Amino acid sequence: MIDNQAATNTSQKTNGYRFSVRFFCEKPFGYPLREKLYDDRLPLNRTTLTARQTDNRQLFNNAGFSRLLVIWGITFIAVLICLGVTLLLIERSKQVVMPVAPPLLPTAANPSDTPPEPQEVNLFLLDTTTLTLVPIKIERRLHRELRPRLSQVIRALIQETPPNFRNTIPRGTELNEVYIDSQQTAYLDFSSHLSDGHIGGTTAEFLTVTAILKTVFDAFPDDIKQVQILIDGEEVKTIAGHLNLSQPLRLPQ
Amino acid sequence: MLFLGILVFAATLSSIAQQPSVQFIDADGKTIAEVPAQRREAQVYLPIDAVKQVIDPATTHQYNHPRKRLTLKIKGRQIRLQMGKPTVSIDPGGQTLTLSTPPIIIAQRPMLPIAFFKQILPILNDVDVIYNSNLNRLQIRPKGTWTSAETDNIQNWAIIVDPGHGGNDQGCEGSTGILEKNIVLALAKQLQRISKQQGVQVYLTRETDTNRTQFERIQVAKQNRGQLFLSLHCNASFSPHEKGIKIYLNNPKGQIRFPNTTKPALTGQRLKVLTQVNFLKQSHDFARALQTELNFLTETPVQIIDLPLIALSEAYMPAVVLELGYLSNVEDLEKLSNAEYTESLSQAITRALQRYISSVNQQTSATAIE
Repeated sequence: MIDNQAATNTSQKTNGYRFSVRFFCEKPFGYPLREKLYDDRLPLNRTTLTARQTDNRQLFNNAGFSRLLVIWGITFIAVLICLGVTLLLIERSKQVVMPVAPPLLPTAANPSDTPPEPQEVNLFLLDTTTLTLVPIKIERRLHRELRPRLSQVIRALIQETPPNFRNTIPRGTELNEVYIDSQQTAYLDFSSHLSDGHIGGTTAEFLTVTAILKTVFDAFPDDIKQVQILIDGEEVKTIAGHLNLSQPLRLPQ
Repeated sequence: MLFLGILVFAATLSSIAQQPSVQFIDADGKTIAEVPAQRREAQVYLPIDAVKQVIDPATTHQYNHPRKRLTLKIKGRQIRLQMGKPTVSIDPGGQTLTLSTPPIIIAQRPMLPIAFFKQILPILNDVDVIYNSNLNRLQIRPKGTWTSAETDNIQNWAIIVDPGHGGNDQGCEGSTGILEKNIVLALAKQLQRISKQQGVQVYLTRETDTNRTQFERIQVAKQNRGQLFLSLHCNASFSPHEKGIKIYLNNPKGQIRFPNTTKPALTGQRLKVLTQVNFLKQSHDFARALQTELNFLTETPVQIIDLPLIALSEAYMPAVVLELGYLSNVEDLEKLSNAEYTESLSQAITRALQRYISSVNQQTSATAIE
């Protein structure tokens, strides 16, 4: 039988199991229960303890080097695999801009296995000399599904800035998510920079909204009939204080 | 020889470039005549032919070369001028006038300064003359179109002028650091002062640099029983070349449009939008009055554009957004920073208010007679 102080010392020094029992039992079960546990399970004395300690050390010393080698080897291989996978992913993302992850378990028969053909998309940008929005053709490998394809097109519109043309979406704006409802309304959820970073002025706001609408309707003439702009997931009244954007929008025929 | 030819060509080109022409415009903005003029030391001078073209085709003149005296006979009145002297005498009546710029001799011909037209025309005919020195435009407008009864009617009108943005919401910014919220507030106050002199009562939705919600702005309009809502803004574009004045109307079927069927959750809002749209025709009338008056000030014609606008969506009265100019354009920015220009802008807006009110008064009196 050892006193309480000794029990604490031994459990801390030697055995994780015992320490954890004591540790977990301390609060919920209270003092008497803990005492009882130790009474049952601790027939140890100091001599057996030290023997075990030395045993452990010996074991570690003998097999230490090879064990280290194995551990480091596994880590090294894991890092290599991770690197390989990342490189592969980067390589693939260069070919296809994938806003959403590709299907997890593609079967061999699935046609989406083969990469989609590059398609032409018209992005509407501001011609600074004629002051009108003009379609600029770009080629992209577009996703087959409507939703990821829509976000691909909008992301392209945000990023693309060929010389002599001005992008009408504030630089640094991000597209959070897109949704399409049963009434063929596309909801485009932008980051708040679309509103905060806007230069203001009715003309600029009109150009921003019209560029988005024209690009969407040009790329999806059959699938999308109207567009509502959201900011950080919420409906907004306006983005720069002039236009009323509280409803889905269309362009005159 | 070739060199000489080029020199002569360049000289003629530069002389053409230096020669401005003065446009005479009537009250509706139509050009009456365009007269070639001469510029000397920042002053513009017109030949005597201009008087024949603009005022009275039956004008005769006599010019005494050695004594440099010019006598004009316009509409049965004799006007005597001395070259290089600002005094003018008008007979019969024995009236004498002092011109702000004296007439001078250019290429051995007597030339009349713009001041002659500005000061003499109102005496000969019952007209007002406004001169735009930037574009060399001279507008001749009938004077005294306002009878006393109509002036009373004008005073009964409450015009709501809404300087856009304010406080944290600074609107757009010019390259010189000038802010939209300050430009529009200064102009609104100037407009209020000038309109008051003309008997038009103007109320402002904000008098200080504070941000007001759309609801508060409309509340001011309701409290003062506003009959016309004019929202002042400054424009900006992504292209530095875009410039000029633009007028916007709230129309959900404009260049961007709302769908015909809306979600049931938004029915309330849709109703409000429709209520403002009931005034679309009157808003268009007011926009055209503004367009006619403001065209006098700018080279680029003033455009009227229909869009669904949030700034006007709850104003239950004829309402327009007036974009005074582009802060992203260097020329417009310079103009809007110039107090002289904003003064002429306020005057033009005041004239547009008078024009619109009188047209509405005429319509109502016409329907009353019927």
